[in-house]
Amino acid sequence: MNKELEHSFVTNLEQNQNIVHKVCRIYTNDPDSHNDLFQEITIQLWKAYPKFRGDAKFSTWMYRVALNTAITLYRKSKRSLSTTDIESINFKIKAEEYDDEVEQQLKLMYSAVKQLNDIEKALVFLYLEDKSYKEIAETMGISEVNARVKMNRVKTKLKKILNP
Amino acid sequence: MDELELLKQDWKRQEEVLPKLSYKEIYQMILKKSSSSVKWIFIISILEFVLWASIDILVRVSGNYENFEVYELKGFSTFSTVLSYVILGYFIIRFYLNYKRIQTTDSAKVLMQNILNTRKTVKYYVWTIISFLSLTAVILVSYIAIFTDKYKVDGSQEQVPVYIIIMITIIVLAIFMGIIALFYRIVYGILTRKLKHNYEELEKLEI
Repeated sequence: MNKELEHSFVTNLEQNQNIVHKVCRIYTNDPDSHNDLFQEITIQLWKAYPKFRGDAKFSTWMYRVALNTAITLYRKSKRSLSTTDIESINFKIKAEEYDDEVEQQLKLMYSAVKQLNDIEKALVFLYLEDKSYKEIAETMGISEVNARVKMNRVKTKLKKILNP
Repeated sequence: MDELELLKQDWKRQEEVLPKLSYKEIYQMILKKSSSSVKWIFIISILEFVLWASIDILVRVSGNYENFEVYELKGFSTFSTVLSYVILGYFIIRFYLNYKRIQTTDSAKVLMQNILNTRKTVKYYVWTIISFLSLTAVILVSYIAIFTDKYKVDGSQEQVPVYIIIMITIIVLAIFMGIIALFYRIVYGILTRKLKHNYEELEKLEI
């Protein structure tokens, strides 16, 4: 394939790699799986790149391919995370501005998100990325109303996990 | 405060701890081969086409086709061969068109639908060809049993009734199909379990 295309792709991905890393964080539980999923998403992005026309933002386009890879194409089974596994979650939570209670709550929240199913994780991820319900609906292929309804259900589910 | 809002506020900070890959590392990645489920579905589907399509060739190589000629069934054998290739051609075209439709840039639901459709095409092909082969076998055995002397025991009166021969053929074929169905369920199940589960999850949202 032509060098110019390779160069523009790698440059684009290098600048926007955070999106892929965040998807990997949500869908995997250890660094090896993280790298593995990152690798597969990169290949899928690269395969789809010649059709990327630039009429959408590169980052917007990445969300779809990255999530589709995590939900649909990624084959390896994931080690499921038990509720007691909170400490092993690879999110940075410690911060000076947080008091202990908030810190503990965040820890629990991240572990609760990890317990959601693949589709729910995608919804939460897009929500956390500040996507509108319209965008969430389009990415998932469901109606906007259903995206809202499902998001509310996920919120309830998270509450239940947090306060059993 | 809403728990999810709290999480959303914290989410941005996660970027500080994300790994940073260099240009070179990313470049290395695009040179590697994919190991996605779609790739495996593609490989296994092609193998299935090859396996079932080659049965006809196997029958020819093993010399079983001579039987047709002996029993004046040449016309029937030509017809069934042509038909089996028409079936193969039709399903390969459908498979190709469905496979082409698989795009990671579609919405999650459309993508899943297209993958499942591609897989289904191969499944329908396998069942069509098995039904076709079974029907051919039943017709052949019936013809031989009814119109020829092949199953007659030399000169004796203790001839096996025609219906028993046909019944046995059908039972043997049914067992054979059962084994294939079981095998199929396992392979199909392993390949698309996660996909199906997620697709059903999305479907549930639309009710």
